[in-house]
Amino acid sequence: MTPIRAVSPRGVVTFGRAVAIPVGRASVVVVIVTVALIVVAAVATLSLGRLGIPLADLPGAVFGGAEGKEAFVLERLRGPRLAVAVGTGAALGLSGALFQTVTRNPLGSPDVIGLSAGAGAGAAVVALFLPGVLPVPVGALVGAVGAMALLYVSTGTGFRNPGRLIVAGIGVTAVSTAFTQYVVYAVERDRATALTAYLNGSLAARSWEHAATIWAVLLVVAPLVVLVAGRLVIGEMGDEVAAALGAEPARTRAVSVVLSVVLSAGAVSVAGPVAFIALTAPQIARRLTGGPGPHLVSAALVGALLLVLADLAAQQSPVPGNLPVGIYTLAVGGLYLGYLLTREWRKGSL
Amino acid sequence: MNTPSGASGLVAEGVTISYGAVPVVRDVSLRIPDGGFTMIIGPNGCGKSTMIKAFARGLRPAGGRVMLHGRDIWSYRGREAARRVALLPQNPIAPDGISVRGLLRRGRYPHHTLLRQWSPDDDAAIGFALERTGLNDLAEAQVGELSGGQRQRAWIAMVLAQQTDLLLLDEPTTFLDIAHQYELLELCRELRDEGKTIVAVLHDLNQACRYATHLVAMRAGRIVAEGAPAEIVTPALVEEVFDLRCEIVPDPQTGTPMVVPEDRRRAAAAT
Repeated sequence: MTPIRAVSPRGVVTFGRAVAIPVGRASVVVVIVTVALIVVAAVATLSLGRLGIPLADLPGAVFGGAEGKEAFVLERLRGPRLAVAVGTGAALGLSGALFQTVTRNPLGSPDVIGLSAGAGAGAAVVALFLPGVLPVPVGALVGAVGAMALLYVSTGTGFRNPGRLIVAGIGVTAVSTAFTQYVVYAVERDRATALTAYLNGSLAARSWEHAATIWAVLLVVAPLVVLVAGRLVIGEMGDEVAAALGAEPARTRAVSVVLSVVLSAGAVSVAGPVAFIALTAPQIARRLTGGPGPHLVSAALVGALLLVLADLAAQQSPVPGNLPVGIYTLAVGGLYLGYLLTREWRKGSL
Repeated sequence: MNTPSGASGLVAEGVTISYGAVPVVRDVSLRIPDGGFTMIIGPNGCGKSTMIKAFARGLRPAGGRVMLHGRDIWSYRGREAARRVALLPQNPIAPDGISVRGLLRRGRYPHHTLLRQWSPDDDAAIGFALERTGLNDLAEAQVGELSGGQRQRAWIAMVLAQQTDLLLLDEPTTFLDIAHQYELLELCRELRDEGKTIVAVLHDLNQACRYATHLVAMRAGRIVAEGAPAEIVTPALVEEVFDLRCEIVPDPQTGTPMVVPEDRRRAAAAT
């Protein structure tokens, strides 16, 4: 076997003769640093606070098998929650990167254009009106697809014009939210209270089942993303150039939107509509890595890091009653959205 | 040249293309001469840009076929067709933060596969394209920071890096000052002399007459005349195609037809 080695001064990873993939140095650095930070945040998540596993005992507990209180914290309390946070953050980051690349606009993001809100509405209907009939993730997926279909029709030009997409998306978000509110008012109060936390995006009391759901979605979708990634890069140069280079822009756009919807719906079904991770992660990844390209891997990792950090803040906050993590991402992400809107407006693209 | 048979590079056979219900190109048949420099002229909205897009899979004809080396261009796989014919559209989008070299590397996309996204030929193709467009010193510069003329050269370099025998350019001179316009046309002529087949949509009739080996005049979605500029460009043709009364004089530099529009005030005074 030929070892993996770089043959070009510009960094081409080769594997024998069959594989040659150029990798930017900045991307590699961003990936390594982000993974390291995720590990640090994960350690902090498991070890901080009254119930935390002391740092010295952590390696033994994770790799050797935990007992007693530590086992409860690791296997029931914080372990699954952490796994859900990493998976959901990655799914949201990737989903956002796909949609933003396809729409060529940072605001063409699942959480701005109503995808998350639609998934939330679908999840609410299934959870409250049809409990046990359909799994909640299916409801989220149906809601997400419905919202995107509504969006596609109401722009009049599909997903091509970013300006229309955002305006119509705000409408779709409003309709979806109103629908969810109706569902919440229509059911008994205590069930609605549980749903309210969910609809803000919460990682409290997640089980390994939730973790398995989101990781299964990631494992199925990620290889498909790899297949369209090259075409997405070319699609950045506009439909005409992409078509002339053989990157089939219309099909690429359709496939990417479907993958993005599935990722977002998966994320919403396990954690509720956690706001703004899908909006911010790809943008942060782009700025860290520099240069063009959708930066899909970096966006997924930054998404995971953001959500783990937000959930760490939610768990360790002094606010009584443990605020859902979505409140934190909403507060920070809202400021960022304001910044982006102002910038786009100044550039004249809105 | 990777022409497999004697089949001509690009041929339109009764092509009709519509945006919505209105046909923009109506039943057009056109054989692009191999190794020539073909220019398509005509008034705005005559279908010339639509036609050139159809030649590179930018638009799918509603009727008729575009044949590439004897096969329907839509029967090729995307990248397979893109290794044979390259198109520079009017308004390509340079991604944020891309360098000239990065842009050229994207022109190599048709030569890559999922697992081989780099090949040793890439460096040679990119080096050739930089050399021919005089961009060697700007290879690492950001495309967004280039002047208009340099940026257009970078885009030309991208389609050159694609290494196709057929090169289609949709109004390549539009945003350039006059010196850069001629520089670009000279480059096209050199490339044609080296064996490429070039098709361009152009607005300037005098430039078209000077550089084209084959001129195609379109109006309202149909071809009005085609042939060598000296044979087809007459006052009658210009009036038919552009509704412009003019005189044709020989270009003092090349002897090719030169269009001198009639001065309306003088013409009115004469009658």
